[in-house]
Amino acid sequence: MKLNICHLYPDVLNLYGDTGNIICMKKRLEWRGIDADVTLLPIGANADFTRFDLFFIGGGQDFEQEVLLADLHSGKDREILAAVNDEKVFLCICGGYQMMGQYYLTHTGAQCDYIGALDLHTVGSDVRMIGNYMFGCSEQSGGATVVGFENHSGKTYLGNAVSPLGTVIQGFGNNGEDGTEGARYKNVFGAYCHGPMLPKNPEFADYILQRALSRRFPGYELSPLDDSLETKAHSYMVNRMEKQ
Amino acid sequence: MKIKVILAVTACKLTIKLLRLIGRGGTAIPGKIAIRICPDLLSYLAKDVNCIVVTGTNGKTTSSRIIEEIYVRNGASYFANRSGANLINGITAIFIENSTLTGRPKKQNAVIECDEAASKEVCRLIDPAVVLVTNVFRDQLDRYGEVSWTLQNILIGIKNSPNAVVCLNADCSLTASIASQIPNKVIFYGVDVPIYKDPVSEVSDAPYCIKCKHEYEYSYRTFGHLGGFYCPDCGYKRPEPQISVTDILKSSVSSTKVRVRVFGEDDVITINLPGGYNIYNAVGALAVSEAVGFARNVTKDAIAGFSCGFGRMEQFDMGSHSARIILVKNPAGCNQVLNYLSGLSEKTIFVCCLNDNSADGKDVSWIWDVNFEKLEDMDELIPEIYVSGIRSGDMAVRLKYAGINEAKLKVFDDYDALIRAMTKQSLPVIIMPTYTAMMDLRAKMSSAFGGKEFWE
Repeated sequence: MKLNICHLYPDVLNLYGDTGNIICMKKRLEWRGIDADVTLLPIGANADFTRFDLFFIGGGQDFEQEVLLADLHSGKDREILAAVNDEKVFLCICGGYQMMGQYYLTHTGAQCDYIGALDLHTVGSDVRMIGNYMFGCSEQSGGATVVGFENHSGKTYLGNAVSPLGTVIQGFGNNGEDGTEGARYKNVFGAYCHGPMLPKNPEFADYILQRALSRRFPGYELSPLDDSLETKAHSYMVNRMEKQ
Repeated sequence: MKIKVILAVTACKLTIKLLRLIGRGGTAIPGKIAIRICPDLLSYLAKDVNCIVVTGTNGKTTSSRIIEEIYVRNGASYFANRSGANLINGITAIFIENSTLTGRPKKQNAVIECDEAASKEVCRLIDPAVVLVTNVFRDQLDRYGEVSWTLQNILIGIKNSPNAVVCLNADCSLTASIASQIPNKVIFYGVDVPIYKDPVSEVSDAPYCIKCKHEYEYSYRTFGHLGGFYCPDCGYKRPEPQISVTDILKSSVSSTKVRVRVFGEDDVITINLPGGYNIYNAVGALAVSEAVGFARNVTKDAIAGFSCGFGRMEQFDMGSHSARIILVKNPAGCNQVLNYLSGLSEKTIFVCCLNDNSADGKDVSWIWDVNFEKLEDMDELIPEIYVSGIRSGDMAVRLKYAGINEAKLKVFDDYDALIRAMTKQSLPVIIMPTYTAMMDLRAKMSSAFGGKEFWE
């Protein structure tokens, strides 16, 4: 058994340890005897998107944004859209999450057009939403409690066509206003969660992997793993934030 | 003005005394009080002091210690902010400690390690004679944001130093880009050759040209984004350094011997610390010494004989075996420790202590940008890994996913238990803590095995 994972823009969207999500998915698959074939797709590289089961996009620096958008609008945006509509699984973090939306409005009023796969947009602000945070995934996204670190100045607002990934328990989430965090549309999961997101949230990690496996191998069920170290790291942050 | 100076200096000196009486060595609060009384105090105190400012992401402390040793061996009168108090408050306090009550300097020279963000203000006030920029790496993103922001702060600091000779790391594309934006005299230093046979693979913190955003090409790399960079689009490239390492002659666990070329003259120097990053620290200090005009043979002796301490390869004797502490602050520094470990010939216990206080960086995500997978290849060399610190849970998970067998991992919830375990076994120990973990652990180890208080 094999799952094909595509890591989009690992060359520029590689900030805040988000690559740890790839390491985590790969290991959790391998520990169950499933091969994980990770294809790195940097700026300028092309690949057949139909062969991938799971896509990952992380966060990056503003400095490289221009280079990235030019590459995105030279055709990758259409391929990503097609993969989304084809129910492929996407995990998109921070900058990568914003990029899946319609546009980004800077606080000087300039608009940056993004992929438009998700009905959401982001508005820049002067205040940085930063710190450890925690949210509860909605039932339709598995219901796990997720702990992580958020660090964004953009406020994301969801449209009607997408659901929030979850509800903020501690921290800011999408915009610090409406109590939502992240977005869910078809099999796309977007969040502001660094940490990285998956390693110390094994329940959510397996939920994502299960979605991708179910699509490729209908009826396949992930076997449980010994997650005692992961759970210890997870519980420590849950307890610490509950005391705040 | 004069009254205010005297008031501020007196208040600061008294507060420092009081704090030490109760066993604390802080300088931030005394400095803050002084600035509150007299906002321009630092420029007044620094007026007749010849100042060297050392800034950049990694290597500030070690570089400053080497420069200090150069001053010592030249018999020059100087002071330095040796406790790592490198923000405006701490720097002000150190100038006060080294001035009379009326604000006259007691010493002629100062070696000042300065935080990158604080450098713009500090440089404006002290008008340095030499500024050394070690490098720019990603660091504590929760505090500093992007590397371009850090670079911008350093640039402003140098623009506020019109009289300084500026020593820049030629191998760092970010640092070297400062040269074309300033009128100052610049001395470039660098390493002309690769340092490690098999360096850890790591993400570059600066893959795209700072001037035109095209991807760089490299004729060689030392580590991280450092090396012979070249932009095929706009032609921006590593400048030819006046001071460079042309060959790595011998590296051991405790020192490195290199061939250098200094303004066209070949020489050999021994650096009294191991690790590739300390080669950069040594040639950076050499550049400063040339800028000041010290005799080269004295500088060579200083580089061969300095000791750093304070968590930078600091050694503790635990009886039958020893422990070394190597402070880490970011992925680049951490990857260098792994490079160092991989070169060891003796079985070693590796200890990771991860904290998330604001001086460590509140976001611990960065440990996933470190190539801990390299430890898998050191299975024989490192029989056990101890994990401790506030975020030991995250550290243990990181190591598990790096492929380390869980049976090799030992997690300690407090430092006393950790120290007991390190003492009980007999292998040499390498401890890699973040800043506040280092401070706590070091204090405990100093009282257990002997050592200095951090303000001494």
